Amino acid sequence: MSRRSSTNYQRAAWGFLAPGVVAVVLVLHLPVLYTVFLSFTDFNGLGDPEFIGIDNYVRMFRDPAVLTSITNTLLWVVGTLVVPVGLGLVVAYLAFGLPGGAWLRVPFLVPYALSGVAVGVVFSFVLQNGGALSQALAFLNLPGSELRWLQDAPLNTFAMIIASAWQGVGVNALLFTVGLQSIPKEPLEAAKVDGAVGWRLFRFMIWPLLRPSTTIVVGLSIVNSLKTFDIVQSMTQGGPNRVSETLGVTMYRNTFLNSEYGLGAAVALFLTVITLAASIIYLRRQLTIGEPVKKAVRS
Amino acid sequence: MRPTRSAAAAAVLLLGAAALSGCSAGGSSGADSGELTFITDKTWDFDTFSAESKKDIDVSLATTAYADQEAFQAFVKQSFRTNKSPGLFTWHTGGQLEELVAEDLVAPTTDIWTKAVENGDVAESVRDLYTVDGEQYCTPISVDDWVMYYDKRTFEEYGLTAPTTWEEMMTVSDTLVDNGVTPFWNAGGNPWAFVWFQILAAGTDLDLYTGLTTGEVDWTDPEVVDVMNIWLDMKEKGYFTDPGSKVAAETQMKDQEVAMIPFGTWYASTLTTVGLESGTDWGVFPIPNVNPDQETTPVAIETAPACTAENSPQKDLGLEYAEWWMSSEAQTAWSEQEGNLPYNPNAEASTEEFQAIGAEFADPSYEFYLRWYEAAPAPILTASLDQFTGFMTNPGDPTPYLEGIQQVADEYWAGN
Repeated sequence: MSRRSSTNYQRAAWGFLAPGVVAVVLVLHLPVLYTVFLSFTDFNGLGDPEFIGIDNYVRMFRDPAVLTSITNTLLWVVGTLVVPVGLGLVVAYLAFGLPGGAWLRVPFLVPYALSGVAVGVVFSFVLQNGGALSQALAFLNLPGSELRWLQDAPLNTFAMIIASAWQGVGVNALLFTVGLQSIPKEPLEAAKVDGAVGWRLFRFMIWPLLRPSTTIVVGLSIVNSLKTFDIVQSMTQGGPNRVSETLGVTMYRNTFLNSEYGLGAAVALFLTVITLAASIIYLRRQLTIGEPVKKAVRS
Repeated sequence: MRPTRSAAAAAVLLLGAAALSGCSAGGSSGADSGELTFITDKTWDFDTFSAESKKDIDVSLATTAYADQEAFQAFVKQSFRTNKSPGLFTWHTGGQLEELVAEDLVAPTTDIWTKAVENGDVAESVRDLYTVDGEQYCTPISVDDWVMYYDKRTFEEYGLTAPTTWEEMMTVSDTLVDNGVTPFWNAGGNPWAFVWFQILAAGTDLDLYTGLTTGEVDWTDPEVVDVMNIWLDMKEKGYFTDPGSKVAAETQMKDQEVAMIPFGTWYASTLTTVGLESGTDWGVFPIPNVNPDQETTPVAIETAPACTAENSPQKDLGLEYAEWWMSSEAQTAWSEQEGNLPYNPNAEASTEEFQAIGAEFADPSYEFYLRWYEAAPAPILTASLDQFTGFMTNPGDPTPYLEGIQQVADEYWAGN
């Protein structure tokens, strides 16, 4: 009787789940499979795709601009880890525990409400040749007013990383603040009694205890930076002459500018594989580091 | 209770399926109501124009405008796979129209064109732009000739007159440079990086330009290198605005920072938006030949086609509207509204400037050619915009940039 009842409940549960499952399969899984299929075809968005084997992948890796794109994407990963994540941690740590600390974080959080494209448009006016930044530097007699922030590589990629950081610092600071708030007070107080203060307190107590938050922030940062698109598209369109292109922009360019959907799909899959690989490797490493600690606590 | 719960779950499932099928299937066409679905990537005021057509032929436009060109094209391409393909949509001539025709996606308009040409509503040369394999497809909303806009205030200030030859234009440029005014606007990136290459290549040898669009001429040919070197020389003389500037061309002219802007006749309405008035603040002149020995003076044209999808439920209504758009009534109304030059000789241009240039271009010494953006196949266009931007940003030996385009051109022509 109870078994039948349980089965009925399961059927009802599946009934409720089914629309969601169908929607996910239709709008997420099937397009991925279709993209895999397209990557082996020659297709201009009209008519029927023609199977051409691995030609798109061969073309992709032979294109020197794709290699530049991969290099730029890696610069974005490193840059995003150093600047927005690093600054986010600094902001969170310095503001933590201070009276009115929450208010100190607010200015950093406000830009997060903007879209990447809006940030790109604003910064492209600031950073254009003779733009606000160059004018300000010239007015203050500081060096750099002659620099072409968005035209020379790799300076343009660094400039865009800074623009992205302006937007991203706040949310990272918020995540780190939540992490700092979740650290139990007792071990910190014990460490202080033992004489740990300042950098030693941070390095040997707070940093290890902040690991769960760091894992999330760094993981999100890696994934987001690998798929960087909007800010680059709105600031330089990957130019001039493709020198600031990222893999996301390369994918867009092949698909929508050149109507080479197969080649665009190949870049999309390559980007997906890199993103998944980076996420898995990073998370496994973090979990492996965490494991002995857990065992030690249990024993 | 349990059967009810299962039934509820099934109902939700059905509802979801119905909603999803609703996404892919089309509803009523709206063709009977006289409201035509119109999808466009243009920023023109189609609502005002719709009121005109409502009055004239009792058909109004239900316009959906896309700000992003690539998103617009992706949408239109996808719509052909559904029964919601638009009754009318804007597109491009050249390779992009040929793509649609190759797949039988766009309705032929040969009958409309035959009648329009017989009525004298449109020139035979314009029909060629809409002809693929002997049949016509789509009809023009506008046909814009490329002219040189110049700042009359600046010219007056330095005692200059509109040049009629390339040499005169260079002399005018030298005077402007000496007085701290940049002679010409130019910009990098997509879409405008092609402008000066187009002017210099067609003005040097129109066959050379055409050969590049058909693959008969290599980008590394010495003649093409020479064209690039003219561009380099002009750049080194300080004739061009900063290609990295984000300040709009019309703003630069308004501020009298730049004196001349090469654009299509559609640009008149943009100049009006910054308060520059036709005839008093700005004028236009034909862009002279770089090579004085060239027999005709080439004039770039661009045209905005309105097309009807072959499988659209509003096909008949779309074609009716397309035919009306070519009429002298519609073209006069369009010119009044947009301030551009109407392609229908029976229609009247709204400004004296364009009336004069329209009369000038009627002279057989002018030869019309399709601008680079439509004439070049998509991958070559994209590569050329990239390389031209690179050349403008880091001017020097043009060979590496031309080799970059040639590499893409080789790949493209090998497969086409």
